[in-house]
Formats: sequence, structure tokens, C-alpha cells
Amino acid sequence: MIEQHPLQVELVERIDWLIRLRWVAVAGTLIGVLVASQVEPQLPVGPLITVTAIIAVYNLIFAIYAHRLNLRRGTGIRRRQSPIFAQIQIGLDLVALIALLHFAGGVENPFAVFLVFHIINASILLSRRASFLVALAAATLYVAMILTEYGGLLPHYNLPRLAAPTRYRDLSYLAARTLAITVTLLLAEAMASSIVARLRARTEDLLRISQSHEAKSRELEEANQKLRQLDIARTRFITTVTHELRAPVGAIISALELTLGGYLTPEKQQEMIRRAQARAQELLDLIRDLLELSKARQIGETGYEQPVQLAAVLENVVELMRVEAENKDLLLSVDVAPVVSPVLADAGQMKSVWTNLISNAIKYTEPGGIIVVSLKEEGDWVVGTVRDTGIGIAAEDLPRVFDEFFRAEQAKALVQRGTGVGLAIVKRIIESYGGTVHAESELGKGSRFSFRLPKAHVPSPPAA
Amino acid sequence: MATKGKILIVDDDPDLCEIMRLALESDGFEVRTASNGTQGLQMMREDKPDLVFLDVIMAHPTEGVDVSATMKESPELWDIPVIMLTSILDTEYLGHFPTDQPLSVDQFLTKPVAIPELIRIANQAVGSKR
Repeated sequence: MIEQHPLQVELVERIDWLIRLRWVAVAGTLIGVLVASQVEPQLPVGPLITVTAIIAVYNLIFAIYAHRLNLRRGTGIRRRQSPIFAQIQIGLDLVALIALLHFAGGVENPFAVFLVFHIINASILLSRRASFLVALAAATLYVAMILTEYGGLLPHYNLPRLAAPTRYRDLSYLAARTLAITVTLLLAEAMASSIVARLRARTEDLLRISQSHEAKSRELEEANQKLRQLDIARTRFITTVTHELRAPVGAIISALELTLGGYLTPEKQQEMIRRAQARAQELLDLIRDLLELSKARQIGETGYEQPVQLAAVLENVVELMRVEAENKDLLLSVDVAPVVSPVLADAGQMKSVWTNLISNAIKYTEPGGIIVVSLKEEGDWVVGTVRDTGIGIAAEDLPRVFDEFFRAEQAKALVQRGTGVGLAIVKRIIESYGGTVHAESELGKGSRFSFRLPKAHVPSPPAA
Repeated sequence: MATKGKILIVDDDPDLCEIMRLALESDGFEVRTASNGTQGLQMMREDKPDLVFLDVIMAHPTEGVDVSATMKESPELWDIPVIMLTSILDTEYLGHFPTDQPLSVDQFLTKPVAIPELIRIANQAVGSKR
């Protein structure tokens, strides 16, 4: 549906109203003429009825035209034509009223004040400029009528009961009538227009207010929707966490029950207990990771940050992990650019980022492989990268590697246990400091995980 | 030694597979295990078991349900009794189950299943089939 400007809708409604009003005017004029003809037998009833009939005919045409316009609701045609349509009607009405006045006494006819109604109509329907021109035109037509009758260009129809037959040639009378009518018309126009203008301004204000209210309520609705989605996501997360926690506990209970229940040979008992122990360790790892995950959310949001040198943190982490890499016969190489700006973050969390990325690379790279860790600046960013020659990630799994609890099939095949939370922690930490994470990989060839964090703009220490 | 029957366990948790295998073997069943639905279906076709234990949620939330549906559609597998193992805690996960069709499952068990209960149910299911 095309929205119509309410003021345009109002104009259309006013035109319909004008057409209805004109039917009343036609009826009123007919009655008036009949009554007047009884009082003033000289009244030219024929021409008066003819003018009234002409009004009726053009009103019928207008009524049909308006009806057709109304059928085409919402089209631009109506919007463009309505003001012209109104001008034509008001113009015709003016001419018709002047004609009626002319045939019924001219300057003597007291109903000349009816011109005011046309001016008020024009003020309501048209622009200020147009309604002023209408008022001017009405006064001009009226004066033209008086003068042509005075000059004998048109016959004068005297109303003997109201005026002496020579009254229409009395110049001071004519001047007084002209002045009174002209001033009345112009004043009426000015007053009606200013009232209408004020009403229109107020309507537009109301319209603007209601529109801005609508926009506000839409915004609120959207925010509400977002909150609802967050809530759903949170509920789903809790359900998943519960499921993930329950699996190792269930396995531990069953393993112990099997052992204690005497279903196993002594060697098998040993093995079962070892399995239970491994699952307990897995549970502990999972709880640690979950805590870290929720901490990542909190710290990033409370702005608990300070300038951190990622190179120093990296050095620390590599020192801790080098033994693990060497035990697996992996080459762990570190490539740090000579100058790297600090980032605004929490040092403990940055350690967690490096640890998770490097331990993943160690875990998923077969012995003999290479792991290259690099750190450098790129524009306003500090970029850390961990590359490996490991098992890689299938293309369909790549978009999900940062999801909580997601583990790719190849990862599960190589390393049975894993919480599936490590990369989710990395992503959440990096994003909470305004950075981004990125993963690319080719199955069987290796993977490349990188993150970028905004450089901290630390004011350089004052020169000594 | 003659076995009480052949059982296939389909579960992506290797510990649970091993635990159930040892428990059921101790009661005289012949047990094999599969770590995913595809492998499970393949093993069923190679050597038809008398009973299948099926984990509901493996790599996909409905993998177990899908396997049981496939079984009921294949002429050589439809009559194998299926016991579903779930770790469903609340109704949240029930949304994953197709509600517009009857589930082709003989029984639902919630993990962890007590070992004597597991053995009793296995005997019952295999026994009633014979």
C-alpha cells in the first residue's frame, strides 16, 4: 500500500465535501429564486434558473470525475490533479455567483457577501498564494460587474423593493460597496489562511511525532527481538554444556561400576580405572575451559585492559611448550618482527590465546612436522599467526572451528580427547578486545590460524 | 563357546563402547562396536546382529534417529530390535526428534545405564526375539 500524505487525503476529502455543499447551494438558489420572484415580479427567473442549471451540470461532472479519482486510490495522478481540480471548481463557482448576482440586482443584491464563502473555501483548499489570488479575482469580478452595468455594457436588473432604479449609477454608493466587498474578501482570506496554515503546521507536527514514535517502537521491537535471540542462544549453550559435562561423568560411573561389580579380569580392571581417570581429567579440562570462556566474556566487557607486549607473552608460552613439541619431534620456530606495538588487553588472556593456538598446532601435527609462530604489525593492527604442517581441516568444517564444542572428524580421529572449547576461547578473547580471528586450511597439508588486535596508542614517554 | 546372541553397539564415545562391550561379553554375548551411524549400518549388513544399542546424539543431533529410520526401511534390517541410548536431560532436546512419524525404536534408556540393568535388558530383548 502506498502511504498518502494526510494533507493530500484531506484535500481530496474537502473536494468531496465541496461537491456535496454545491448540491445544497443549487437547491438553496432554486428556492431563493422562486421565493424572490414572488417578492420581486420583475426578477429574470429564466436566466437565473439557467445559471443554476449550469452549476448543477458542472457539479455533476465534478462528482463523476472525483468518483473516478477516488477509485484510483494511491496513484500519483490524484495527488497532482487535486489542487488544479480545486482551483477550477472555485473559479467556476466565482463566475457563477457573479452571474447570479448580475441577474438579480447586481450591486443592489445583498447576497454579494456569499463571495466570502468562496474565499474561505479557497483558503482551506489552496495554497496561501492561490487563495489570495482567488480573493483578488473575486473582488475584480465583482467590480467588473458593477462597472459594466454602470457603463451600460450589460443590462441592469433592478430590484425595486431593495433599491431605487438609478441606484446602480450612484458612484459614491458603488465606491462604498466596492470598498466594503474588497476589504471583506481580502481580510477573510488573510484570516482564514492564517488559521488554516497554523492547523496544517500542527497536523504536520503531530504527523512527525507519530512517525518518530513509530520508528522508536520499531527500534525497541528490534532490540527486544535481539535480546530474545540472545536468551535462546544462552539456553542452548547451557543445554550443550550440560550434555558435554554429563558424558564424561556417565562414562566414569559406568567404568567404576563395571570394575567394582566384578565383571572384569584384573588386567581389564586396571584398564577401566585408567579410562575413568582419563575421563575425570577431561572433565577437569572442560571445567577449566568453560571458566575461561565465561571470564573472556566478562573481562572484555568491563574494560579491564592494559598495554601488553604480545612478543613477551609469546616468548613465555613458547618456553613452556617447547618440550612438548620436541617430545613429538616437531620443529617449533618463532618469527617476531623487530618492532611490534603493544595491544590493550589482559596479559593472562593473551597467554591463553597463544597457548591454545600453539597447543592445537602441536596436537594436530604428526611427528616430524613444522610449526611456525609469527608476530608483526600490519597498519593499525598487530597480527599473530600460527602455521603448522598438520592434518588440516576439511573445507566444510572450517567455518565451524571457532564454535563452542565443535571438533572436526579428523581431529577426533587423531586425538580422542578434546574439549572443543579452545578455539572458541581464542575467538571470544580476541573479539572482546576489538580484534578478529581467521582460519585457513587444506586437508592433509596444514592449517594457519591468525588473529589481529588493534595497536594500543600509548603516548610515548616524554624525552629525558 | 556358543554365544547368547550377537549385539552391535553404535556410540561415538569409545569408553562407553568398551564398557558396554565388556559388560555384555561377561554375560556371554558376542559384541561388536561402531563409532558412527554409517559404520554401524555397514556392520549390520555384513553380519546381522540380534540387537542394536544406538546412541541418539553423535556427530549430528539426530544421527541415531536417522540410523533407526534407515534400518526400519531396509528389508534385511527392519526386524532387529533397537535400544536407544540418550543423555537427554530435559525436554529441550526432544525438539530434535521427528514427532510426525512413529520412532522405530523398541526402548529408550538414559545414560548412564546401570550394568545389571543393561544386561537384563539385553537378555530380554534378545530372548523375546528368539
